[in-house]
Amino acid sequence: MSPQAPLSLGAAPPRTMPGAGLLAISALAGAVLLAWPIVFQGSFLVYIATLVMQFSIGACSLQLIIRTGHISMSHQAFVGIGGYTSVILVMKAGWAWHFALLAAIAAPALAGAVIGPILLRLTGKYFVLVTFLFGEIVRLVFIDWQSMTGGSNGIFEIPKPYPWMNDPTAYYYVSLGFAVACVGFCIRLMRSEIGRAIDAMREGPNLTECAGVPVFRIKVVMFIIACGLSGVMGSLNAHMNNVITPGNYGPMESLNLVVMNVLGGMTNMAGAIIGAVFLIALPELLRGYVEWQRVFYGIILIVVMASMPGGMVELLARLRSRLTGREAHLASAVAAEGRT
Amino acid sequence: MSTGGAPLLAVEGLSMTFGALKAVQDLSFTVHDGEILGIIGPNGAGKTTAVNAISGTFKPTAGRVTFDGHLVTGFAPHRLAELGLVRTYQATTVYGTQTVRENCRRGAFLHLYPGFFDALISSAKARAMRAAVEKEIDRLLDWLGLAQFADTEARNLPYGVQKTLGMAIAMAARPRLIMLDEPVAGLSAEETDHVRDTIKRIRASGISAIVIDHNMRFISGLCDRVLVIHHGQELAIGTPAEVMSHPDVIEAYLGKGHAAATAKANHAAPGH
Ligand SMILES: Nc1ncnc2c1ncn2[C@@H]1O[C@H](COP(=O)(O)OP(=O)(O)OP(=O)(O)O)[C@@H](O)[C@H]1O
Ligand SMILES: [Mg+2]
Repeated sequence: MSPQAPLSLGAAPPRTMPGAGLLAISALAGAVLLAWPIVFQGSFLVYIATLVMQFSIGACSLQLIIRTGHISMSHQAFVGIGGYTSVILVMKAGWAWHFALLAAIAAPALAGAVIGPILLRLTGKYFVLVTFLFGEIVRLVFIDWQSMTGGSNGIFEIPKPYPWMNDPTAYYYVSLGFAVACVGFCIRLMRSEIGRAIDAMREGPNLTECAGVPVFRIKVVMFIIACGLSGVMGSLNAHMNNVITPGNYGPMESLNLVVMNVLGGMTNMAGAIIGAVFLIALPELLRGYVEWQRVFYGIILIVVMASMPGGMVELLARLRSRLTGREAHLASAVAAEGRT
Repeated sequence: MSTGGAPLLAVEGLSMTFGALKAVQDLSFTVHDGEILGIIGPNGAGKTTAVNAISGTFKPTAGRVTFDGHLVTGFAPHRLAELGLVRTYQATTVYGTQTVRENCRRGAFLHLYPGFFDALISSAKARAMRAAVEKEIDRLLDWLGLAQFADTEARNLPYGVQKTLGMAIAMAARPRLIMLDEPVAGLSAEETDHVRDTIKRIRASGISAIVIDHNMRFISGLCDRVLVIHHGQELAIGTPAEVMSHPDVIEAYLGKGHAAATAKANHAAPGH
């Protein structure tokens, strides 16, 4: 709609107070999340769910950047910086994990503070391209800085944060706790006046700047916060996997986080989580068909992007409005869009 | 505060060049508290560029801009907005997918934002600011005749109403000086009169304005003084009557056919 918008990421979700329906869904989701490792004790599904928690942190923090109108292809690089920082401090410097975690937040945040103001001057495809290159550079640093990172073989035998976290159930709950905290922070942030300004500046940057919003400063601050949060995923993930290798942090892995957001409609934290569930669970379900994975992946992406610019959240909204007979309202909105 | 006779906005020797093109050359003018200054000129005269160079969209190549006693040359738009200088755009710019009310909230950022942590925890301060702005927006919408559209998405509004919404967004920032770039372009005569009355009421509430337009009738019925720009330069400045009887203006607008001048000056269509 606005001719100045650099990206057509779809409109901001309406700012409504959570209704009774949403509260009910949240309560149900909470119960499922708490019961999950008990129900599936000893199963691979606990590990999968733990991965989803960690990727939810990555996807939601990336959305903080995406919402400002910049699709970053280097987010996984910051996840990696967090991961390596945590692992190196625990294994080589003997830090307790909770201190290493703080450093794992600070290090990517600092990297973001240095590189963000440079990258964020670019918009649209140029930002995508340059962050892609930056992601690749970081990956190469992980490979070449042998003495620190162990080169392309990475670092092995990473201990769990605490001995009691050797239990997958314990690891699940810790990851759940951090995911709730990080995602909750992102949701709160986007529902605040800052979030309003962020959605506004994506849809009309000039107009928003004229309202007194320091557009560039907000972009930089969001970038730094997002990078810092990504470090939480990096640390949790590396210590769970026992091994950290550069291959996990290249641009293609960053694309994964972007796709989670695309699937979720780009402007909705719940969407990013649904995207994470989908992209983590799908490859696991298709384990026997490795060569088909990418095909499915591609088909689903194309279908979602072509038919539902609002992502799966839009799909759910459509289903809901159909169920509650609000289709007429939606149809008129769609018709109105066609007119403009 | 501007004291005594000091102007609210003072522009001195403003120039803006794009490569070899001198889009604005050595413009100087002032706007006083409560004054409406019209800027008029043919297509490509440099009106929008002048506003862009004042409002921080572009950094001027040369010149000084003083607002309310502050030297603000080349300030970013958001800093000017903080000082009370807000502009609208020539193209209708609203947030299409948002309701009219949400559009106004976005315009009111300066009065809604309580600081990072207050915003994050939705503190008492944040809530108080929100409540105050909601009241303010109610009044603003009433005032501009937008109340009936409060919950309508901007893209579903008629064109004329979208233009008014553009002004509402700017007004929500509570400016001291508002710069309107062609607020009546494409509007019917009736809608134009409505916008003129609205701008007069804005001024009556103590806000100064710079209004750009082609429509001489609209400008002369609204402005205290008019600046005529031609090829980026000042052609004339003065009251509407003075400007319209200025020989250079008549010539620039109507060629040598002076006889036609008085007939057509009422509704000049520059550039054609
Ligand atoms: N960003 C830019 N880069 C290069 N040239 C520009 C730029 N902006 C404006 N110009 C040129 O500067 C001149 C003045 O343009 P401007 O838009 O200020 O005119 P205007 O008086 O607002 O015209 P209109 O009545 O059509 O809105 C034109 O020749 C235009 O092509
Ligand atoms: Mg113009």
